[in-house]
Amino acid sequence: MRKTLAQSQGTLFTTRAFVCNSGGFEPSPMITVRNLTKSYADPRRGEFFALRGISFDAYAGQIFGLLGPNGAGKTTALRILSTMLQPSSGSARVNGFDVLRQPDLVRHQLGFVSANTGVYDRMTAWEMVEFFGKLYGIPDDVLQPRVEEIFERLQMGEIRDRLGAKMSTGQKQKVSIARALVHDPPLLIFDEATSGLDVLSARSLLETIAELRSMGKCVLYSTHIMREAEKLCDRIAVIHRGRILEEGPLKQLQEEHGESDLEELFHQLIAKDTSTEDDRHAITT
Amino acid sequence: MNWSNVKLIFLREVRDQLRDRRTLFMILVLPMLLYPFVGISFFQLSQFMREHPTEVVIVGRDRLPTAPALFDEEDRFHATWAATANEAGEDANKLLNLRFDVPLDEARKLVQDGTVQAVLHFPDGFDALAVAGGMKTPIPEISFNSAKRKSQVTAARLKRVLLGWRQAIMFGELSRRGIEPAEIEPFALAETDVADESLRSAAFWSIVFPFLLLIWALTGAFYPAIDLCAGEKERGTLETLLASPAVRSEIVWGKLLTVMLFSVVTVSLNLMSVGLTGSFVLKSFQSSMPNLGSPPAIAYLWLFLTVIPVSSLFSALCLALAVFARSTKEGQYYLMPLFLITLPLVVLPMSPSFELNLGNSLIPLTGIVLVLRATIEGDYVLALRHLVPVAAVTGLCCMLAFRWAVDQFNKESVLFRESERLDLLLRIKYYLRHRQETPPVAAAVVCGLLILLIQFGFNFLLAGRVRNLALMTILPQLVAVLGPALLLTFVMSKRARKTLSLKLPQAWSVVAAGLLALAIHPLALEVNGLVQQLYPLPQETQEAYAQLFDTEMSFPLMLLAFAVAPAICEELAFRGFILSGFRRLGHKRLAILFTSILFGLAHFVLQQSIVACALGLVLGYLVVQTGSILPAMVFHFIHNGLLVTLSWLLKNGTPRLDGWEWFIVSSAEEGLRFQWPAVAFAAAITLGLLTYFRRLPYEKSAEETIQESIERQGISPAWR
Repeated sequence: MRKTLAQSQGTLFTTRAFVCNSGGFEPSPMITVRNLTKSYADPRRGEFFALRGISFDAYAGQIFGLLGPNGAGKTTALRILSTMLQPSSGSARVNGFDVLRQPDLVRHQLGFVSANTGVYDRMTAWEMVEFFGKLYGIPDDVLQPRVEEIFERLQMGEIRDRLGAKMSTGQKQKVSIARALVHDPPLLIFDEATSGLDVLSARSLLETIAELRSMGKCVLYSTHIMREAEKLCDRIAVIHRGRILEEGPLKQLQEEHGESDLEELFHQLIAKDTSTEDDRHAITT
Repeated sequence: MNWSNVKLIFLREVRDQLRDRRTLFMILVLPMLLYPFVGISFFQLSQFMREHPTEVVIVGRDRLPTAPALFDEEDRFHATWAATANEAGEDANKLLNLRFDVPLDEARKLVQDGTVQAVLHFPDGFDALAVAGGMKTPIPEISFNSAKRKSQVTAARLKRVLLGWRQAIMFGELSRRGIEPAEIEPFALAETDVADESLRSAAFWSIVFPFLLLIWALTGAFYPAIDLCAGEKERGTLETLLASPAVRSEIVWGKLLTVMLFSVVTVSLNLMSVGLTGSFVLKSFQSSMPNLGSPPAIAYLWLFLTVIPVSSLFSALCLALAVFARSTKEGQYYLMPLFLITLPLVVLPMSPSFELNLGNSLIPLTGIVLVLRATIEGDYVLALRHLVPVAAVTGLCCMLAFRWAVDQFNKESVLFRESERLDLLLRIKYYLRHRQETPPVAAAVVCGLLILLIQFGFNFLLAGRVRNLALMTILPQLVAVLGPALLLTFVMSKRARKTLSLKLPQAWSVVAAGLLALAIHPLALEVNGLVQQLYPLPQETQEAYAQLFDTEMSFPLMLLAFAVAPAICEELAFRGFILSGFRRLGHKRLAILFTSILFGLAHFVLQQSIVACALGLVLGYLVVQTGSILPAMVFHFIHNGLLVTLSWLLKNGTPRLDGWEWFIVSSAEEGLRFQWPAVAFAAAITLGLLTYFRRLPYEKSAEETIQESIERQGISPAWR
């Protein structure tokens, strides 16, 4: 099954998902999340709910921003979508595949780029991208030109034979993106990918992400930096304490709340939720 | 499972490790350098290993007989008795510097402060030796300082010289009386070593090689495992791999094979290096160590065959521990406990009294060492006879270790554990604040360990102090077993009745439990006999057991001490509190198994522990299936009560069982013994009763219900 999937992948940077940004008819979502819950038994917090029934949709050709402060539940949601964690309840589908029942198929639909880059210290950039390409079952004759093309597009020629330990954070992040793109997935997940990057590297990364959108990829971008989200995202969801406070197209939300500055809007939403939560806590205690 | 993914991960991990300087140092450089370096050091140090002269004060030289003279004219020991001051036959005059000018008291002080190593004092009247003879002569005395090694050696040297001199005096006296000294020795003793030269050195290598094999297999597996799991967690690369198409079992296999490879290579290089260095060094010292030589070539073949299962076992164990660790630093802390558990199993079989038999071959690792020793020594028949049990036990351990490793990889709580310090106080506060109906797993473990510790302390305190056997039996049951369980029940759980399974069961299940105890009795005796055969009880323990029932205690008191008290205390503690805690794991079988292991350990004597553990499985099953502690208490009481009654009956004479010999026989030595028809009948009844309990609709714990629903949905396999 995996081999067939890999073999069926087209040329690099083309998407198999239906791309429709505007008008006409409703496109089918790339990601569908419904009432997703995740709880842990935590010694500090008792039974701790990292996610409390979140729901959202993300579409191909769009960047969906998952915005929230640290500990809001962003990484948990992304880990569930990338099948690293099992949800406690609710459902999530990626390109039509269920994360619980078809995790192996889901993994072929996405590329995951995390904040810590996940680059092996003792592997060169080329070896690492090639290794993941092989794991995705891409035949050698397809894999080699594909890796060449990715390296060229991301301008990684200089670090091709450099070990991960000797790369800068920006270079590592490039390798991480190359690894996530090697199987040409329709969905890319970026979990606080600019953290630790210098201004230039962060800007270059954001440009790459914008480019991926223009190629019809669905990008799920998690961040707590509002300027990045404002610049990049088509739709956003503000998440706080495991709940989605607001979700929708960025412009629509700005209009609804009469606030053009996303950072201000974010502050308002978080402050409102915090005070509501405090009130609730005061009543119960 | 996709084996091409396993191969990919394996090759990646191997390449990764080969690029790690620390790993290369451990597996390649260290074995190549360590042993040759030790060998060279041995050569260098051998020159300093000579014996050095020590200072001796002689007091009372003027009280010595003139013939035969102990000292010559130059105040040195006479050459005749000075010839053997030590095992190597060195001259005493070269090893002992004699002084005659120090008074006794002062000389003793000098020995105390270490300036002089020994004082040889001849008391007044010693010169009358020739006249009085024997024990009538005042005794000469060697004063030495046992806290100082050098002083001990000096005393031994002096003793050898004096014994030689005494023998000369004795022989002189015998000759004077017309007796030839040879006449008082009825025979001489000659020693002939019939061992083959190659086997003589094999005996040495059969101890060295298995030890090194096991230690290096563990070390060789440990460091790569830590780097591949805890290290990857720390570096964030494990998350990337988990999001790739490789499923968990493929990742585990890839990593396991890598760890195994490095373990095997580490062992092989170490053994080759030690073999070559050892041969070279021993050849150079052949004159002083004629029995040692190069290891037999065939030994390497046996070592190679053994290293595969040993490395598999250690690799799986290390992998599970490594993935559990949050960081490489934490992982390295686990090495010491692992060594402490492994070392006795490896070192004990090196003792000459530890032989390869069925019982010992069933002990993990120990069996391997013993079989390996037998093969290196050329005792193939013995090794072959025990190969199957050793292979079976090792295979089972490998399988369990591997399952544990896979389980660890499937646990989100383990894979994504945050790198935070364990705050014990906080955790206890959490458990107290969020008490559930039944105690948590951690409380069950704590309770088990507390019982073991308090029991140990109690035995230590009461031994020899309390003569009353009933008190010695009942008091530990109340204080060490029931006490911690009751205390923890009220502190760690919300519902004491549910925790201790204090519920009235169906009347039939109580009757069935009683019948089961009767039916299982012949089987328990058989198991006990088998265990005793495999691991015979030491004579002292057997005598202690015999004394236990050989008291003046009345029968009701015996029943109270050995049947009623354990049935109540042990059941409430083990099948009550501990089992309830372990059931929070979500697996009833595991809960019963862990409870039984703790129950077995609480019996201290290995042979008793094995039987108790087996019976614990039945007792745990009864409580889970009936939801009540009562059937287990009834079973426990009848089982122990039966043993007490039979012992009491046998004490008052062997019962006559005329006409029933085909079923049961009794003898004063063995007590009651059931014949095979009885055992078969008991097995059939036991099976029937267990089937009855299996059919009872048992009440699942909340965790068991969740676990079952997960397994029923079939989610887990897709993630694995």
